[in-house]
Parts: sequence; C-alpha cells; structure tokens
Amino acid sequence: MKILQNSGIPIYQQIADSFRGEILSGKYQQGEYLPSIRSLARDLRISVITTMKAYEQLEAEGLVTAVQGKGFCVNAQDSEMLREQHMRKVEDALMEAIQSAQIAGLTEQELEQTLHTLLQMKGE
Amino acid sequence: MELDFCIRAEGIKKKFKNFRLDIPQLDIPKGYATALIGENGAGKTTLLNILTGIRLDYEGKLDYFGTYTDKDRESGKLKEQIGYTGPGNYYLPHWTIRQIEKISELLFDNFQKERFKQWCSELAVFSGEEIEWKKKVRELSDGTRMKLMLAGVLARDTKLLLLDEPASPLDPLMRDKLCSMIRDYILDGNGEKSVFFSTHNISDMENVTDYAIIMERGKIAEAGFVEDLKEKYLLIKGEREDIEAAGKILYSITTSPYGFEGICLADRMEQLSGMNVSVEVPSLFQISVAVMKENSRIQM
Repeated sequence: MKILQNSGIPIYQQIADSFRGEILSGKYQQGEYLPSIRSLARDLRISVITTMKAYEQLEAEGLVTAVQGKGFCVNAQDSEMLREQHMRKVEDALMEAIQSAQIAGLTEQELEQTLHTLLQMKGE
Repeated sequence: MELDFCIRAEGIKKKFKNFRLDIPQLDIPKGYATALIGENGAGKTTLLNILTGIRLDYEGKLDYFGTYTDKDRESGKLKEQIGYTGPGNYYLPHWTIRQIEKISELLFDNFQKERFKQWCSELAVFSGEEIEWKKKVRELSDGTRMKLMLAGVLARDTKLLLLDEPASPLDPLMRDKLCSMIRDYILDGNGEKSVFFSTHNISDMENVTDYAIIMERGKIAEAGFVEDLKEKYLLIKGEREDIEAAGKILYSITTSPYGFEGICLADRMEQLSGMNVSVEVPSLFQISVAVMKENSRIQM
C-alpha cells in the first residue's frame, strides 16, 4: 500500500480505498480480520485515529464489521449486497441533484432531459 | 466513538500574578497519543506539572484511569504506572549514570536494569557501545539528556507517558525515532497505554498525534481527534477581490496583494459560495496556528 502525503486525497481515504479494493477482489476472505488499527498505524507510520477512521468508513459501507475486542472482520461480499450498496449511493447522488434542480427552478422534464443528455455523453 | 479516558481533570484552577489556568473539564483519551499544543506561556507546562504532581498548589479534581485520584499519586501503585520526562532537571546535574540507575531502581519497583541498558544503546545515548557509568548528567547535551530520560521511562512498565516537550531538544532523526517509539508503546498497550505530550514541533509530531488539545492563555481553545478537527476546519485559498467578503466569514485569514489564505469552519462554508476559492484539508499545524492566532495577544 502506498500512502501519499500531499496528494489532496485524505490519508484515511487512501487506506479505505486500498482495503476496499483488496476486499472486493477477494484478497481478504469472509471472516478474515483486517490488521489491528494500532499495528497498521505503526506499520504505515501514521496516527491510530487515521486508521480508525479508514476502518469506520469501510464499516459504514458494510464491507467489514467491528467485533468488540477483536478488530474488524470482513463481511460476506455477495453481489446482491454490493448492488444494494451501490444503489444507495446512486439514490443519494440523485437526491442531491433533485435538490439542486429545485433550487435552480428546473422542471421535472428539464431534469430528466439533463440526465438523458449526460447519459448520452457518457455513452459516446 | 467510545472514549475511555486515562486522565480526567475537572475544575482545574491555578492563579499566578498575571496568569490564570482555568480548565473546567478535560479528558485525555485512553489508548491514543495526545498532543498538547499552545504558545509559550499558554500554560502547557503548568498543566503537565499539575497532572504529574510536580505542582501541588492547585484547585480541582483529577481522576487517573478511572481508579485513582490525585491523592493516590504518592502511593506506589499510581506512580508506577506513569512515566514522565520534562525540560527541568529530573535527573540532578551531578548524578552519574550509575547513580541514575540505582535511584530509579529505588524509586520504581518496575524499573528494569536490562531494559534501561537496551534503550541506552538503541537510542545511542553514549558515543561508544558501552554505557559510560561515571559520566555526569551535566556533561550531557540537552538532546542526550532527553534520550537518557526516555530510556529511563521506557525501562519501566507504565500505562501512561507524560512528556513535556520531548521533541524540542532532539535532532530530526531522533524526532522520527520518538514518533516510532510512541507508536510502538501505543501498539504494545493494545488500547491500554496512552501518551500525552506537549510540543511546539507540530509538523514533526503530526503523524503520531491522534488527539490534539490546543491551549491559549490558560484555557483550552480547542480539543478533538485530529481527523475530526480536519473536518471542522478547512483551508481556503482565494482571490484578491474576495478578501473583504471572505474576511467576515473565515475563522482566520492572511492576506497578500495577490489573494488570501485562511481557515474556515466547515459549517460556514456555504457562505463562501459564489467566491472563487479552493478548498484543502489543513494540516494539524495549520489548524493549530489558526486557533492560536484567534486567541493570542501577539499582533500578527
């Protein structure tokens, strides 16, 4: 794992991204434990609270579960659950777009049109 | 996040002629490294001296590990669990290394001679391989004296280190080593060992700091986990034409003929909309300077 100090991406984010990749690619199996927050902090030469925040993010995403006194355990990664998670993200992002559209006074039609246009641009 | 404390201070007050230390409530989290940051004269050493018991003339209540009070400090049990290094003459200038070893053994049941020797050699306290037992403390440089104190503290099994300005006399390499030593200590404790240190060398110590307490003029100006502080405060840079408007919104601002730079509280960010600004995550150093500036009497 490479940690960049001045990349503009917070260090906890870099750690979370790296573990997420490893969990989703199957490098960590269900039931396996991530390194303890304190040993990871020691090995990466960063503060404990930064690794803690990275793990909390993975926990919020449902990838791992905190087990009292034992650490962070990798959850089963079935595709249904991953889809569910991504669905939640999509909904959040769309909700934000809807709110912005209301502020800007866009009609529903205009908003849908914008989505279609963006989808077309992405497809090209 | 669950927060156990290793020290809880309540209603700590100490009055000097022109200075008043006033800390209604302070928790130092257990299992983490906490930095005490503040200007010269902010009260850092006074606070540390109260926590260690070097200073006894104060008002207020102290709780250690949820088990002991400040009254228990002289009873062996609590004293054994705390290690202290400071800028003063903790080891008297005329003591020899051999005497330090003997006195430490007398003072602390858990002082281990072998570990003391190991640490002396790991930290290269002496120029040669052998410990120079006859050398006197006064013959050592400030940096070497600090290394010796750290060796003395790490030779014991403790649960809490109280370090007053440990980084100041150390060279860059040794500061790096100090950070590793703090991390190893915290790792070894598995949530039970804590470190509380004061420092001016915020950048050098940032990567080992979990919790920060910023003091100004005898009061706690800010305290929190570093990751939380980095969400509360944001680093903003902007153009000259927005200086005046931004000045009313930002927490602290530095201007130049070309633009401005400053720290904005995250919950005021919305008010900057419409301005052409860039947003970055500040370093602990940048947050500390902003908080200190807001509370300082120094005219910037």
